[in-house]
Amino acid sequence: MSEPLLEAVDVAKDLGSGAAKVAALKGVSLSLRGGELTLLMGPSGSGKTTLLSVLGCMLTPNGGTVRIRGQSTAGLDAEEMTRLRRRHVGFVFQSFHLFPTLSAAENVRLALDVRGSPARAARKKSAEALARVGLAHKTSTFPRELSGGEQQRVAIARAIVASPSVILADEPTAALDGDNGRAIMKILAEIAREPERAVLIVTHDPRLLPFAGRIIHIEDGRITGEERGNIHTTEG
Amino acid sequence: MTGAADMPLVFTLAFRNLFHDRLRFIATLIGIVFSIVLVMVQMGLYLGFGHMVTTMIDHASADLWIMPKGTKCFEDPSLLNMRDRYRALSTNGVAEAIPLVIGFADWRMASGEMTPVFVIGSDLRAGGLEPWNVVEGRVEALSGPKAVAVDRSYFNRLGVSGIGSSAEIRQQPVRVAAVTRDIRSFTTTPFVFVDIDRARAYTGVPSNKASYLLVRLNAEARPDQERRELASNIPDVEVLTPAEFRERSRRFWLFGTGAGAALFAGALLGVIVGTVIVAQTLYSSTKEHLNEFATLRAMGSSRRYIYKVIVCQALLSAVIGFSVAALLGDVIVRLTERTALPILITPALLVALFLLTVVMCVGSSIAAIIQVTRIDPAVAFTR
Repeated sequence: MSEPLLEAVDVAKDLGSGAAKVAALKGVSLSLRGGELTLLMGPSGSGKTTLLSVLGCMLTPNGGTVRIRGQSTAGLDAEEMTRLRRRHVGFVFQSFHLFPTLSAAENVRLALDVRGSPARAARKKSAEALARVGLAHKTSTFPRELSGGEQQRVAIARAIVASPSVILADEPTAALDGDNGRAIMKILAEIAREPERAVLIVTHDPRLLPFAGRIIHIEDGRITGEERGNIHTTEG
Repeated sequence: MTGAADMPLVFTLAFRNLFHDRLRFIATLIGIVFSIVLVMVQMGLYLGFGHMVTTMIDHASADLWIMPKGTKCFEDPSLLNMRDRYRALSTNGVAEAIPLVIGFADWRMASGEMTPVFVIGSDLRAGGLEPWNVVEGRVEALSGPKAVAVDRSYFNRLGVSGIGSSAEIRQQPVRVAAVTRDIRSFTTTPFVFVDIDRARAYTGVPSNKASYLLVRLNAEARPDQERRELASNIPDVEVLTPAEFRERSRRFWLFGTGAGAALFAGALLGVIVGTVIVAQTLYSSTKEHLNEFATLRAMGSSRRYIYKVIVCQALLSAVIGFSVAALLGDVIVRLTERTALPILITPALLVALFLLTVVMCVGSSIAAIIQVTRIDPAVAFTR
């Protein structure tokens, strides 16, 4: 079995302080391997988003260890965490978070620009990433002129363009209708087939189960179960 | 909007964020333009005033000025003893010491109305301080009886219409023999150029007194040495170079009277107003784009990258705002060109104002930058 690209061991995270302090994660352990699409499922308030933030190097855990490509986040300051995130993690958000003033290609290119990629190479790569999600013809289109499904595809192109090891997606189909949701999942499942890339999707939508290689259940800040999925990438 | 394909993306993002909300951008521009035009006018007045108060010194033909001790400015009414002239002439290196008489007098128009004038009388044969920009008549005509030179811009004030017009100064008849252009006084009191003897009669300065001695040195003279000698030979006088006298006059009018402080206070007010407006609009623009900046952070952007976007917005606002302000400034300069106190905008002032605009706009972005510094990238998941 390959080495995990991302690994969390006994991760704990408290949110808030004083009387409002809540233990959002209580000793979570999981690992993500290349070539696998994992679903993280659980009810609202179960700690899914907090776990995603910790795994994505946005939040520092109070206890336990997170390792990305073998590098631990322990003791890293905010900018070092940012560097780690920049190098290894791509994000897909529920509400896309595209920049309304930038075209589709520019939105994708932004992910390379923040990494300091040369403009010419960045332009080529962003066009390729858009082509990969089926939007080669929409490079100059602005988000307001795109459908919800197309916007999410741009967001996926943005997440993959810098070839991160891990893609973390937060409810990527929640704002989409069934057809668009399936199309997005097909793209993510396709990306997850690459052996050097792991995809973790937070969802509570059971329609995504057919795309999963693995399903992890979380409840009240703890992993309550894990099962192998039954992938049908040709569905839809 | 896609035509800017070759622009750095930071610049593109800043540019489009700025123009995305046109109303806010216009408010920012109004703030910058108002502020810079205000500072420009105040500083232009300062420079114009500084230039106006030294007009006579600038046009006098002198290597050194001898004046009574404590003279504060050209218009100072203190008087020298004419014996000082002979002392000056007996100093090595001094070629000429031309007396100059100045003073206020009453001008009575043909209609009987009175108005104050500032009389300037010098020895017309020696040519110490003659009228310049003569557009009608000749300077030489001033040596004729009753002859005076006045500026065209004061015709209405003086009740004259050109060469040959008559009036009275101190109950003595005068006749306009020469007309000048653009010799205006910042005090709005018209200048009247006359021969020195009649200047004494019009101002009441006795024949053994003079306001200044304009010293011309021999070609081989060493100004510093002659100046020292003049100062030691003549008691109770000061010997200044034209540059020193200019500086002293300027300092008196600008700082001794409080006029300069008022102009600087106005300029400072402009800077404060501009900074507050730009800071407010940049802050609210940043606040509106906070989600985007959080997304950038989540994508792994460094804080520096985001600061660049904000500073770029500030710089763009500065360049556009300054350009509009400079155009307005040009219009204001043209409008005040022929007034008693023209606004003077020099290339150095323009450069300084541009730098001020940049500093003001970039400084205004600090609040926005502080706000961005506190962004938690994890909010990208929750919004």
